[in-house]
Amino acid sequence: MSNEAQLDVAARIAQVKRNRWGRHRATIGLGLRMALHAKPKFVGTVLGVIFAVVLAAQQLGVLFGLLDKNTQFVDNCTAEVWIVPPGTTYANPGQKMSVALLNQARVTPGVAQASALIMAGTTIRKPTGGAEALTLVGVDLDTMLGGPYNIVVGDTNILRQADTLFFEDAVRDKLGGLNIGSVREVGGYQVKVGGFTWGLLPFGPPFTFANLDLARTLANIPNDQLNFVLIKVASGYTPEQVAATLRSRIDTADVITKTAFHKKIVSTLLKDQLGISFGTSTAFGLIIGFIIVMLSMYSSVIDNLREFGTLKAVGLTNWDLMRMLAVQSVMYALVGSLVGLGLVSLMAQGISSAKLAVIVPPVLVIATPIIMTVMCLLASLLALSRVAKLEPGMVFR
Amino acid sequence: MSNLAIDARGVNKTFGTGALAFQALKDVDFQVKRGELVMLVGPSGSGKTTLLSILGCVLTASAGVVELFGTNITSLRERQLPVLRQALIGFVFQGHNLISSLTALQNVALILETRGVKRRHAHDEAAALLKRVGLGDKLNSFPDQLSGGQRQRVAIARAVAGKPPLVFADEPTAALDAHAGLEVTKILTEMCRENGTSVVVVTHDNRIFHLADRIVHIEDGQITDGHTAAAAATSATAH
Repeated sequence: MSNEAQLDVAARIAQVKRNRWGRHRATIGLGLRMALHAKPKFVGTVLGVIFAVVLAAQQLGVLFGLLDKNTQFVDNCTAEVWIVPPGTTYANPGQKMSVALLNQARVTPGVAQASALIMAGTTIRKPTGGAEALTLVGVDLDTMLGGPYNIVVGDTNILRQADTLFFEDAVRDKLGGLNIGSVREVGGYQVKVGGFTWGLLPFGPPFTFANLDLARTLANIPNDQLNFVLIKVASGYTPEQVAATLRSRIDTADVITKTAFHKKIVSTLLKDQLGISFGTSTAFGLIIGFIIVMLSMYSSVIDNLREFGTLKAVGLTNWDLMRMLAVQSVMYALVGSLVGLGLVSLMAQGISSAKLAVIVPPVLVIATPIIMTVMCLLASLLALSRVAKLEPGMVFR
Repeated sequence: MSNLAIDARGVNKTFGTGALAFQALKDVDFQVKRGELVMLVGPSGSGKTTLLSILGCVLTASAGVVELFGTNITSLRERQLPVLRQALIGFVFQGHNLISSLTALQNVALILETRGVKRRHAHDEAAALLKRVGLGDKLNSFPDQLSGGQRQRVAIARAVAGKPPLVFADEPTAALDAHAGLEVTKILTEMCRENGTSVVVVTHDNRIFHLADRIVHIEDGQITDGHTAAAAATSATAH
């Protein structure tokens, strides 16, 4: 009457219990097929993720770009320790300090080189009338600590020539059509253009480089004053050790390592200016993406309620259905992240300029799919709650 | 070993509570032998689908005992029931209930894969079953590319895939014309008889009564009587 397999009910139950991996594989495949079959819904959901990725990653790319613009002077400077006026949060023109600090630094153990840095605001007169603001940087040419970088035209040795400056190439037209050898009035003195840098544009006016003496003259800073002391650490010492020693000897200024200064600038910018604005737009992108994915997955479940009921009736558990929805979420997140990051990279190439760099760092490329996966998994919870409540008996009604 | 595939004793089912309580099943005793094909008939609202749902482990009884092949399912926890359904039961639903995103082949193979059959074997077996129900040329068709009768044939192939010892069919002919209805029920009964499967079919359709071993009538939540198929068919013809 019956074959052996039928009689051995216990064996059949045991086989089903043993077959976890087969069920996992089958439900993963089913989840993917269900998502891909409903093409308009798939496209709509992926577009939601792409929208979230583009908005969030583009905003973060601009934020990283702006942070870079404001930390690049410190980052590119070969100084490992800075002595700065008390309360300094940025590397920009500020209070002046006594040159005694430079002398103190030079006799401190662990200091290989110490140089003064002048950083002062000044103006350049344009031939057509009017003036533009500059951030004048005076550099010790013997150490070149704090000297020009990203040089596109010229040699730093030319700064040794009298009244010669390096200007920012990206704003040469704005500064009055500068060319090598052009003579302009800066700080009330006639100076000559000796070279150009590219992209040295912080929030403030563009950097303009001169030797220390010229900078003091143009900015009217006496010889016994300076803005920063830049220190290169001797071998066998760490920047932290040298900074600690300097702190024990100096009480009229702050001593900060290059790494700490970078972090301080970033944290100050995020707290004071950029954080709220970019944080809001990034969060907005994520929230919109979350809502689109959530509604799309929920409506997909509602549209296929009977199918989910059938799957439950034939023996799939809530965990199996959760796996299906999770797989769909991960697929939406990965496809959306991939396309979204591609678009952001294209946008970054398209809109990056000397003034605005859109930076998509590796951490953003790695974090985006992870964040999107978490977002999509959270967005699937509403659909999952509906599936979990589903009675398998509904298929008979 | 008991010869019974299904042994339900004193089964009650009440929906709702208080003044809104509705007793759908009243002390129902119902037995099906191994390999037997029973048709459960009765008017709408008589409780036949409720009984089928309880026997199919998708609904729990309010009282009474239900044993499937000697296993008391009323004593099992809810989370244990899916395993039982997967291991023992094939379902044919009134509205076919195929997964719209899967082809006919994938719909049948899915059940086998979830039961532990390797993918390739599952596809081979599914293809053989679909050929058996006359859909050898529709393996890669999606449900919306099939007629109602073809869909129900896929549903039958899905229900018997893996040769479950029990198959429950809920109004399998309801959405089909007379010819197609008879055709799919014949296929279902033939395949189940070959496998020695016990079958319970809920139906209104007296044109298929002759395919059953036994007809059981249910009315107002109670089993009223049971006939052999021949007697029921004669009675239906007389009506």
